[in-house]
Amino acid sequence: MNQWQGVLLSLVGIISTVWLGITGQLGLYIHPRYFVFTIIMAVIAAVLVVVAFAVVPRPSDEEAILDTGGRRGRWLWSAGSVLIIVAAVVTLLVLPPSTLTSATVKQRDLNGSASTLTQAEASGLIGGDYAAFTVRDWSSLLRQGAGEDFFADKTATVTGFVTPDKSDPENVFFVARFFVSCCAVDAQPIGIPVYYPGWQDEFKTDSWVTISSGFKMNPSAISDEQIVLVPDAITPTERPAEPYVY
Amino acid sequence: MSQTLTVRRGPALRLTLGLTILAALILTRIVSPPTGEAGMADAARDFVTLSISVVIESLPFVFLGIMLSIVVQTWLPEGYLLRRLPRNPVARRVVLSLLGMLLPVCECGNVPLARGLMARGLTVAESMTFLFAAPILNPVTIMTTYQAFGWDDGILVSRILGGFLIANLVGWIYSRHPRPESLLTPRFQDTCALGDHHGQPTGKMRRSAVLFTQETSAMLPALFVGAGIAGLIQVGVSREVLVAMGGNPVWSVLALMVLAFVIAICSNVDAFFILSFGGTFMPGAIVAFLVFGPMIDVKMLALLRTTFTAKTLLQVTLVIGLCSAALGLAVNFLV
Repeated sequence: MNQWQGVLLSLVGIISTVWLGITGQLGLYIHPRYFVFTIIMAVIAAVLVVVAFAVVPRPSDEEAILDTGGRRGRWLWSAGSVLIIVAAVVTLLVLPPSTLTSATVKQRDLNGSASTLTQAEASGLIGGDYAAFTVRDWSSLLRQGAGEDFFADKTATVTGFVTPDKSDPENVFFVARFFVSCCAVDAQPIGIPVYYPGWQDEFKTDSWVTISSGFKMNPSAISDEQIVLVPDAITPTERPAEPYVY
Repeated sequence: MSQTLTVRRGPALRLTLGLTILAALILTRIVSPPTGEAGMADAARDFVTLSISVVIESLPFVFLGIMLSIVVQTWLPEGYLLRRLPRNPVARRVVLSLLGMLLPVCECGNVPLARGLMARGLTVAESMTFLFAAPILNPVTIMTTYQAFGWDDGILVSRILGGFLIANLVGWIYSRHPRPESLLTPRFQDTCALGDHHGQPTGKMRRSAVLFTQETSAMLPALFVGAGIAGLIQVGVSREVLVAMGGNPVWSVLALMVLAFVIAICSNVDAFFILSFGGTFMPGAIVAFLVFGPMIDVKMLALLRTTFTAKTLLQVTLVIGLCSAALGLAVNFLV
């Protein structure tokens, strides 16, 4: 078992990678710039795995015992190997692929400097095609303090998942996305605050919505957000094929 | 009976068995739910997503490193690389710390490559110099750091010089060790000994396949366990606390070093990630992140543990951590 542990784990990783690539879900875990490299390496590794199955001899019992430090060590090592392989199969092949959720939003700095555009980049947005602005563009402008006058005649049309505002979760939520620079591990949440009292009655946290609305001063007296979207209606929607922004 | 079975288990039977396992795993993926929540709490789902993300991101680099290791051990003529290195130990380590310019594999892939180089005769100290310098001193990392920061605040220069000096310092320290082989795990010592003397399968293709089997069996369990630990820490440690320390010249350095350890991001793109922290953190903290992270993080420690003893890794982590912190503080106070 120990000799083949790496080959089996390789197989699990290869099948998961290729399946995610074929079904268009690789973007749930890594930045698109890695797609081609990741798939090519998976295919090359798959060839090596098949060759290994064909030509690598089974180790003798004596070699296997030496390799794992005696018979007792061999038993423990095998148990550990089986555990890792089973865990890999369950997480990579059995569980459905998933995006990050609001649990991670709570852990990370929503609209922190790490996720929004720099001041210079945000300034460059002014005068652009506002209809094409993303959650990241709007959240950057809000963070840079573009001001009430700037937002007064602007309409944002954005899609994101629902996550509550920490300061006034009853009346305000964020329509949020994760910004990814390498893989899901570095994902930073960004979002636009939305004033919509009683939103919990209509939408679950982490459900996806599309909002088209103008900006106003936040009617909430306790929320930390100054400028918010105040939509008349919110449209529930499916998770987009690319849930993260880059 | 057992011997009879061993004799009968020929290539055709092994291949059939392998393809059967392949088919079973593919079938498992196909019949498993393609979407959904699997009845898991949000934090548990995020733990799984983050762990899978580390595996999917790192796996191709580990495969690439293993393939280069196989090329070095099997397909290059004996001593092809070592003969070209200077004889003077310091000069050798200097040259090895620049080897990443030719083999830009990323830190995960450097571990199997370094194992292959050691099996071919590189000393422990030399392999450490290569391991810790290559993720920073390679063209992709330098280019992305330049794209992110240009020449601002001496970040690029500090990263290149800092990575070079720290890697060579670690190499120099361990070159003084009286019993360098004791820095390696007994398992890897056996691997090197076997590579030197006997038990080598005949034929390059067969030897390559055996090495692939051996190296994946050493690296992938460590990668999967490291990914699980990284996912667990990500779910358990709030990043807001770290970001709150950004304005203090001392705490900002330590906070970003902790972040680098936890986040375990690839050195080829870490500059883009940390660029957006530039408004919150001081330049020295950014430099400490960019120097410490590629050398030591939770995933790298799991991978390095396949080769080095826990005591060695603790010492190396301390040395690199102290040097990175000193570098970051110097940048904060001098630049």
